[in-house]
Amino acid sequence: MIQLGGSVVAVALLVAFVRWLGVARPTPPLDAASAKALLDVEFPDHRPKATWIASDGAGLIARDGELALVLYKRGDGYVARDLPWSAVASLKPTSGRVTVRVSDARPTFAVSDDVWPPKELA
Amino acid sequence: MLKAPFDPVQLAIPFFVLAIVLEILLGRFGKAKANYETRDTAMSLSMGLGSTIAGVVFGGVVFATTVGVYQHRLFTIPMTAVWAWVAVFFLEDLTYYWFHRLAHERRFWWASHVNHHTSTHYNLSTALRQTWTGGVAGTWLLWLPLSFLGFPPAMVAIQKGISLVYQFWIHTEAVGRMPRWFEAVFNTPSHHRVHHARNPRYLDANYAGILIIWDRMFGTFIPEVDEEPCRYGTVKNLGNFNLLHNVFHEWVGIAKDVAGAKSPKEALGYVFGPPGWSPDGSRDTSHTLKAKWRARVGFE
Ligand SMILES: [Zn+2]
Ligand SMILES: [Zn+2]
Repeated sequence: MIQLGGSVVAVALLVAFVRWLGVARPTPPLDAASAKALLDVEFPDHRPKATWIASDGAGLIARDGELALVLYKRGDGYVARDLPWSAVASLKPTSGRVTVRVSDARPTFAVSDDVWPPKELA
Repeated sequence: MLKAPFDPVQLAIPFFVLAIVLEILLGRFGKAKANYETRDTAMSLSMGLGSTIAGVVFGGVVFATTVGVYQHRLFTIPMTAVWAWVAVFFLEDLTYYWFHRLAHERRFWWASHVNHHTSTHYNLSTALRQTWTGGVAGTWLLWLPLSFLGFPPAMVAIQKGISLVYQFWIHTEAVGRMPRWFEAVFNTPSHHRVHHARNPRYLDANYAGILIIWDRMFGTFIPEVDEEPCRYGTVKNLGNFNLLHNVFHEWVGIAKDVAGAKSPKEALGYVFGPPGWSPDGSRDTSHTLKAKWRARVGFE
């Protein structure tokens, strides 16, 4: 039990140390070029015709026909998911954010105006 | 001897902590490539801590079974003989290779081992991201033949520990390549980066524990190429930082698929087929991902 307590403290200290001095990967806001590069890596077999980048640059939704390709930030990386375009089109942004439901997360995206779906994807 | 007088992994823990601190500092001061993200590290370390607890819980059953098998051993191998240690070094490492290959190529065992591969980082803390459900998956059974041959359970346990300690230091981007002769024989940071990569080119490769020779012998060796840097994690990366999701997500996935299976044959496919297997082939396995990748680079 003492050993377990010590281990928990050691883990907490190490995590605090990482928070203080750890160097995460840089994730600058997405622009057209970095969005394309990310899509090419995560969805190499898709050729999305349109891409919408969240207004804070922390994610994107691209459309390939009836499929929505979603990339959202998790830590210092991006997670890729796809879902039917209809599930994305029917969302309603509230106070500048829209929440997408994927199997194991509910990422939110910043929208500049409450027009949805965004004109880039419509 | 039945019970090991010491556990190499327990002895190495202070060294693990110091090495992680050092790697973080090297990364901070630009002396080496080392990325650490807070929640990613927290998950890796929590997995490590939890796996030692799970090890205690399952340890009794594993130990009792091993001793039971040892009592029916073919030979009596002395723990004091040098040749016996040389033999157990090679045989344990060969066992590890096949355990690890099974853990990647069949979903039931992948469900447990996937835990080790969910980090999108590759640093020393990733080494401590160990499964909690290995006892359930039963992969420890693969080491029983060593006890049946006559290697004392303590000897096998110590060698398993040595292997795990060896594999700690190779989880780093701070080391580029080791000398050529070393890369030829031993598992190295470069070889194991490939093993943790999700690039189609690198999938299902380099299952080695200490010696890379097994991959070279059995055709699963893929070298790291500088033109294609490794991207880490699983083919479908975790969507969140929930610890329990990390531990159980593939088990839950299997249960859901089996519940929806239309025949016993389908259910068996979902449990014992390769990860990503589906009756209609609509999901990706590492084979289909590699085939698509080959087609892409062929056309480009
Ligand atoms: Zn593995
Ligand atoms: Zn590893």
